[in-house]
Amino acid sequence: MGPLSAPNPPDAGSPALRASDEAADHGFFATRIDALINWGRKNSLWPMPLGLSCCGIELMAMIGPKFDISRFGAEAARFSPRQCDLLVVAGTLTWKMAAAARLVYDQMPEPKWVIAMGVCSSSGGMYDSYAVVQGVDSILPVDVYVPGCPPRPDAVIDAILKLQTKIARERPLAYLLAGPGVSDERGSGELTYQPNAAVPKSVHDLHPHDPRARRG
Amino acid sequence: MADTATIERVRAALAGIEHQVLAPRDGMPSLALLLSNLKDALRALRSRAGFETATFVTAVDRYGKTPRFELVHQLLSLTHNDRVRLHTAVGENESAPTCTDLWPGAAYMERECFDMFGLRFSGHAGLKRLLMPEEYGHHPLRKDFPHQGIEPDRLYREWDRERRKDWHPEAAR
Repeated sequence: MGPLSAPNPPDAGSPALRASDEAADHGFFATRIDALINWGRKNSLWPMPLGLSCCGIELMAMIGPKFDISRFGAEAARFSPRQCDLLVVAGTLTWKMAAAARLVYDQMPEPKWVIAMGVCSSSGGMYDSYAVVQGVDSILPVDVYVPGCPPRPDAVIDAILKLQTKIARERPLAYLLAGPGVSDERGSGELTYQPNAAVPKSVHDLHPHDPRARRG
Repeated sequence: MADTATIERVRAALAGIEHQVLAPRDGMPSLALLLSNLKDALRALRSRAGFETATFVTAVDRYGKTPRFELVHQLLSLTHNDRVRLHTAVGENESAPTCTDLWPGAAYMERECFDMFGLRFSGHAGLKRLLMPEEYGHHPLRKDFPHQGIEPDRLYREWDRERRKDWHPEAAR
């Protein structure tokens, strides 16, 4: 539990800091509401483990006693999306599963964050295939990508720490006061095909066994 | 190593049916059959050679050859503890006879074959797609199918939209 820090701390001799020092003597402390809300949110992330393949095993190891994400307040894995605010997409997301994954995300209450764990969920990975979503960012707004096949639990813990610094930069109060017209980037919920742009699309790819398209 | 006793038993059961013994691969005796003889051969192997189980029914796409497809049956005899593999060439516009009346468990494998290769099985009671959406219209394991797929998201998107409509009619997009 770190100290509550505002992005722009006032000078040591400023009246605001002197006032907060006096209040601290009487058992109070002064902070910004944004910092307080962010402090609460980032230190109590409740992950929704969407374990789709082998990455799910590393996710279990991360929650378990050896790596122990309860050190960072994120050990309360819930299997109901209604109680979670961190969706960890751990593994290969197929198109058949995509609608279900989006539904899980839609059921989670605001505020919510997404970690794409492993190369499969980050970019499709080695499954350059008609059946696999080429990166879950096709259908979900991803906050942190974790490379690895599967990534070590340390790497995912690092992703959670990076997400915590990202949450600390958010301005929840401004978002709250802005009214219903302003909304975060949450994606449309449409399942859209975004092919892997790194793979060249040629006649050879379309007809790999056609001798006319064979490369020299 | 292919057991010679197995081949002898299979050949005895297939007496009168045209067949060709192929070189055994990975220790399993292999035979090539004609499509017109396939049903008779399967029935003979089921009743006379004691192959009670069809462990696998699949196909191979020999793209560029005619006939294009190769239907593969793998049978297992529990009484004799041996297996046999049957290869049958099937053209693109031909339909193979089903073996679901002999081995009902082969129904799913024939459905998968139909889904992935577009092979049709005459006599199959419920020949519809197994894995891909029913309106998909393509056969992914054919060699001329692009490996990144043809509009993989379109049907799932429509399916998802229809499904959401039932739950939240007011929020349907």
